[in-house]
Amino acid sequence: MNIEPVTKSKKQTTEQATLESEQRYKRLLASVTDYVYAVTVEDGRAVSTFHGPGCEAVTGYTSDEFQQDQQLWYRMIKEEDRPAVLEQAERILKGQETPPLEHRIIHKDGSVRWIRNTTVPRKDAQGRLVAYDGLGYDITDRKQAEERLTRAHAELAANEEALKRTLEELRAANQELKETQLQLIQAARLESVGALAAGVAHEVKNPLQTILMGLDYLVPNCPAENENLAMVLSDMREAVTRANTIILGLLQLSAQTDFEMKREDLNGSVRRALNLVKAQVIACKVSVVRKLDAHLPPVKMDRGKIEQVFINLLINALQAMSPGGVLTVTTRAGQFGENLKVNETAFRQFSRGEQVVLAEVQDTGTGIAAVNLPKVFDPFFTTKPVGEGTGLGLSVVKKIVDFHGGGVDIQNAPLGGVVVTLVLRAEPE
Amino acid sequence: MVKINGMETEKKRILVVDDEPSITRLLKLNLEQTNEYVVRAENDSEAAVAAAEEFQPDLILLDVMMPGLDGGELASRFEANPKLKSVPIVFLTAAATKSEVHARGGKVGGLRFLAKPVELSEVLACLKQHLGEGTNR
Repeated sequence: MNIEPVTKSKKQTTEQATLESEQRYKRLLASVTDYVYAVTVEDGRAVSTFHGPGCEAVTGYTSDEFQQDQQLWYRMIKEEDRPAVLEQAERILKGQETPPLEHRIIHKDGSVRWIRNTTVPRKDAQGRLVAYDGLGYDITDRKQAEERLTRAHAELAANEEALKRTLEELRAANQELKETQLQLIQAARLESVGALAAGVAHEVKNPLQTILMGLDYLVPNCPAENENLAMVLSDMREAVTRANTIILGLLQLSAQTDFEMKREDLNGSVRRALNLVKAQVIACKVSVVRKLDAHLPPVKMDRGKIEQVFINLLINALQAMSPGGVLTVTTRAGQFGENLKVNETAFRQFSRGEQVVLAEVQDTGTGIAAVNLPKVFDPFFTTKPVGEGTGLGLSVVKKIVDFHGGGVDIQNAPLGGVVVTLVLRAEPE
Repeated sequence: MVKINGMETEKKRILVVDDEPSITRLLKLNLEQTNEYVVRAENDSEAAVAAAEEFQPDLILLDVMMPGLDGGELASRFEANPKLKSVPIVFLTAAATKSEVHARGGKVGGLRFLAKPVELSEVLACLKQHLGEGTNR
């Protein structure tokens, strides 16, 4: 039996074992089809990298190419992702835990691939880092699927947003349609009432004439001692006056052509109308606040008719208020919908930015019940006590303003009372 | 000249032409009650020219809308008649409103108008204003 003398030291034995282990490891790496690499570390620095043959399937480059060009692995990383990869390498070289990193590389064929890079440190018996292994797993398909999903989500969100907008637009269009329909019905109603009024006016005025002349005959022939008779005759005269007021309103509704349109100052009409209702203002014990813009551009209008509009609005406001109320009349000029904000749905005849003149008549009365607001321009609609209103005032206002190509809106004021807004086109200066 | 209480007083002669008998009747009663006017009422516009020739009015109160000859046509016939062409005419109309007529100083298109329903005081003021005016316009 030959006994081989023990010639190798313990150190040599250990080194031999390590070498064999590494060779076995490389053989193992070479047999793995995934992209596996091993980085040898000396004194905390990476000194060489071995790329298993699986690298070609993932990167397009062979092990030999990586072997010959030790910087290839770095250049292969997409530029934006390099800092993260370097950070991962630094962490592992410092012996820190490194979570898997997903980053992009440029494949040899030029395409962009996503890789999930997982590293595992290898340490010696003393716990020093001697190498680390990496597994580059191609996750391009998953990433592309994720991106498609993200895009699909974004698209879905955008579609949902677009759908919401369309729905809103549809609602607005529907509302607009309803309002237009109401306006058309109202216009048709005004027209038919107007046409009817013209025919009826003559027929009613003659009997009124007979009654009035009869009263004129009876009054001087009434026995002075009969007070009741005098009262009855007075009541009858009042009834004739009232009936005639209704006829007058109806005729104003039916008036089609007798408008004398001239360039006028709207403030002038406001002042004249205020002057004409001065007696009622005093009787109602309300105060008047004028906020008239001194630099209003002219308006093409029939002065008399627009004064009639203001008189009707002012009388309505006065009748709505208790003593101590405040009647505010405002005029302003500006660009419609821009520096002059109004309820635009009520003034569709104007374009945004159009130069317009606005007048507001505001009272401090009790306001109008919301349910009645859509009806206020209907002929014969009134919320006043019987005998106080004909229900034609606002119909006449609307008719006249419509004829001027303007608009009128009536709303409850935020702090109580009613505000009527009138908008007319301004004439060029 | 009309004899009243034995005294001869010159009353103005007013022809009222309206197809509504109640209106002409009451106008006649009211105007004559003032003792200043003699009124002839005519409800048939076709007969109005002959009535006017016979009555020789100082002023004609003429309804505008009447069956047959309307006020406008009748006024043209009065103007074409040498005996009547200088008689002032005041139209009574249901087609215009008081404010429209007042706004134009009582005249529309150069013609004198009273808007129905008109009170007696307005009629009297109008008669005083226009009686003696030589022409229809």
